[in-house]
Amino acid sequence: MTKRFLALIVFSVSVFPVYWMVLTAFKPTREIQSATPAFWPSFTLEHFGTAVSAAGFWSFWRNSLLVAVGGVLLSLVVASLAAFAVARMRWKGRKAFILMIFVAQMTPWEALLIPMYVIARDTDMLDKLSMLTLIYFMITLPFTVVTLRGFIEAIPAELEEAALVDGASRITAFRRVVFPLLAPGLLATSLFGFITAWNEFAFANLLIIKDLDDRTLPVWLSSFSSTFGTDWGATMAAATLFMLPVLVVFLILQGRVTAGITAGAVKG
Amino acid sequence: MAVALLAGCGASEPADGGPVTVDVWLMRDSTTDDFTARFKEDFEKNNPGVRLDIQIQEWDGIGPRVVSALAGNDAPDVIEVGNTQVAQYAASGGLTDLTSKVDDLAGRDWIPGLRDPGALDGKQYGIPYYAANRVVIYRKDLFEQAGVTPPKTRAEWLAATEKLNQGAVQGIYLPGQMWYALAGFIWDEGGDLAVRDGTGWKGALATPQALAGADFYKRLQALGKGPKDSDEAKPQQSDVFAGGEVAQMIAVPGAAKLITKANPALADKLGFFPIPGKTADLPGAVFTGGSDLIIPVAAAQQEEAYQVVKSLTGQKWQTELARTMNYVPNRTSLAQAATDPGAQAMAAGARNGHGTPNSPNWAAVEARNPIKDYLTKMLTGADPATAAREADAVITAALNTGR
Amino acid sequence: MTALRTGPALEVPPVPRARARRITIWPYLLVAPTVLATAYLLVYPLVRNVVMSLQRFGVGELIRGGADFVWFANYVEILADPQFWAVVRRTFVFTVVNVVLIMVLSTAVALLLTGLGRWARLMVMGGLVLTWAMPIIAATTVFQWLFASQLGLVNWVLVRLGFDQFEGYTWFASGTATFGILVALIVWQSVPFAALVLYAAMTTVPAELYESAKIDGASGTRMFLSITVPVLRPMFGLVLCLEVIWVFKAFVQIWAISQGGPGEATTTLPVYAFQVAQALHRFDLGAAISTVTVLMLTVVLLAYVRTEKAR
Repeated sequence: MTKRFLALIVFSVSVFPVYWMVLTAFKPTREIQSATPAFWPSFTLEHFGTAVSAAGFWSFWRNSLLVAVGGVLLSLVVASLAAFAVARMRWKGRKAFILMIFVAQMTPWEALLIPMYVIARDTDMLDKLSMLTLIYFMITLPFTVVTLRGFIEAIPAELEEAALVDGASRITAFRRVVFPLLAPGLLATSLFGFITAWNEFAFANLLIIKDLDDRTLPVWLSSFSSTFGTDWGATMAAATLFMLPVLVVFLILQGRVTAGITAGAVKG
Repeated sequence: MAVALLAGCGASEPADGGPVTVDVWLMRDSTTDDFTARFKEDFEKNNPGVRLDIQIQEWDGIGPRVVSALAGNDAPDVIEVGNTQVAQYAASGGLTDLTSKVDDLAGRDWIPGLRDPGALDGKQYGIPYYAANRVVIYRKDLFEQAGVTPPKTRAEWLAATEKLNQGAVQGIYLPGQMWYALAGFIWDEGGDLAVRDGTGWKGALATPQALAGADFYKRLQALGKGPKDSDEAKPQQSDVFAGGEVAQMIAVPGAAKLITKANPALADKLGFFPIPGKTADLPGAVFTGGSDLIIPVAAAQQEEAYQVVKSLTGQKWQTELARTMNYVPNRTSLAQAATDPGAQAMAAGARNGHGTPNSPNWAAVEARNPIKDYLTKMLTGADPATAAREADAVITAALNTGR
Repeated sequence: MTALRTGPALEVPPVPRARARRITIWPYLLVAPTVLATAYLLVYPLVRNVVMSLQRFGVGELIRGGADFVWFANYVEILADPQFWAVVRRTFVFTVVNVVLIMVLSTAVALLLTGLGRWARLMVMGGLVLTWAMPIIAATTVFQWLFASQLGLVNWVLVRLGFDQFEGYTWFASGTATFGILVALIVWQSVPFAALVLYAAMTTVPAELYESAKIDGASGTRMFLSITVPVLRPMFGLVLCLEVIWVFKAFVQIWAISQGGPGEATTTLPVYAFQVAQALHRFDLGAAISTVTVLMLTVVLLAYVRTEKAR
């Protein structure tokens, strides 16, 4: 009984701000500005209309998707190679490599804003979504290596050995045996990277300067309140739409993500 | 896949022979969408082969954006910036020197409040675009109901506002952090935000004159429900005014357009009067705000950019601007362009116009404004003198940042 | 996924000697892309940052290029500034308060999850997932709005409960209140991740351990301390590290809500570095501050790793 009660409290506290956001998105403006808050609205889709028809909404959406997915895919490819080397092979410099990944994982990225700006400018990469893609790739890379290593180590090496004994090359063994077993781990890890990239604000704000149409959703959302004045409904509708893709993928993959992190960490 | 994505998203330049695109940054709410659309159409018609790409920038965080644009390889061609910001950009070497064009732009006729801040060391970098100062926008119907008329002095103003501030009606919506209004009240008392101190500067909010100005702000602010911990943009005060029973607010006359856009029912209920001064002889002191147009050195289309500047600051579009936005045009000969009540109130107030302390570092003070913190502290019960001294220390430090 | 939960094999696969010699170039080829990317996108910017911190670097230098070296002048300027040390102290307090709350709450929630029935567990986990998925910027906006002085929900509820002094109460005018709201926001955003991970880790603890402890008559607290904690030590360690990093460098939330104010009440190191670099245009000082930040974070976390390794 008390456990159920505690569960209810945890649930309410964690969900309330989300509920308030979604609720406001559906509330008619007059109810939003009323001095007595309504906890159950008379539904309207008006705010979603305002948000969706705002200039550039769809291109911001596409940009965000492009840089987040691009960055994550790149880091999956690069990281799975490295993770395999760390998990399955003994080589000189392995310890140093692991340490490098650990240090990379704790870099405060915002500290590198200005140098990154200068580098992007000097290589003619300002105002380019590809630069953002590269940065998101790097931001998600260390975590991806650590997690994938955990996943790979969880796959019994005997399976792979068996394939090798059967005369398959190392690459074929990886592709035929390891990769299929790794697929869920890849998905889970990519989701985590996706959220990081999807939310990223500081670099997107600094490196996309001239072409407002090249902005990403978080940057647009942060300027949204000034664009729409006190139109809280539209702001919250935009935020709800912003959250939607993450949520969908999340609900599908949630269990695997946490399992993946556990696997990665228990190895230490 | 990822490689394809990477290759696909590099922006490509238009092929040779196509129209030249000129990128123009204008600020949010400095002009209406309709004005920019008409200007674009007219300019493109008169300049075949040139395409205008006008982008509206948000005020929030504009400083760093302009800096990163100026430092980039491919800056926008024309940027509208606040008149107090030009000096620091010019000092950094990022602006095209337009001194030789001043005569071509009828620069002798420019109003000094815009011309001077646009210049540095005798060279003109910023071309005056428009000026504006704040007035009081009021609801005629609410004034009538309460039986009051537009006040001429501060004492009358307080009395009238107190009368208006009844029931659901807010006498005045004055957010706690509208530091331009405070600046005006301080100038009225003979004080200033900061004063010269030898070769440097020091904050002057703790002087008796400035504290008297702050005290008036506090008394006025109490006659409404303006949030004490926020400025006029959070929430947008024109929206608050449009949505509620608010009798007065302090804003540029152009804000009336935004109010009626949000609530057309108020269209014929809005009136204007200059901010009242201490006596009926002189209106209250106001900050002469405004914008200049600049051309970054890094802009690709220097010549076309100049044509845009020339056109926007020329007689035709200045007259249009004064008519549609109720601004003070950039040249004295056009002062009569606007004849509506808002512009008249503004012109009356402009007689007592002032500028912010004339230091290239003033922009650094505004970037994270200690005066706003001071106002909130003072309004929420802190000792004004102590809070003022704290703010002064921050101002002094920012203005004297060695370079 | 069940294979994962039972814990991966700990020993390195036996690779035949002859084979190992033949494939010895492979590991280097495999890690090469990671190393190259890290060198260009992480080490190189870090080096540029250090170089910048040794120069005189303002807007002029950013635009025109050609900065002069002033060597350690920027570091001297920062380290001699009492304001900097106040910010450092505040950042540590902020980090400790947040991380302690996050660890305690998420452990509690994880324990709660292990004791819940299927439906209640799914409900709580669903709630946590929703919280985790909410965009940071959106969450920040909602919190700001909940605590707004006019039309803010918190004030409305408090007045309803009879606390009339909260009518139009200005939360963001008080340094302590703003600090508290930011802690609430960051803890609220961080607990779901930590709780879900800790819960997943708890499910990997073999049930037999608990059963035999129960037979020996151990209490719930005792089982937690003598079984859960030791088994999950590496997991707690990882979550702790991640949260320290996350809180220490939290920027968007603070900047959006208070810009480090009122006064300096919520100015932490990242906010301070941003103010110095972007508002005062002292990119050199900002670079020095962020170099010091990176060093501090590295020292703290490496010290932690060492003590963990030593156990």
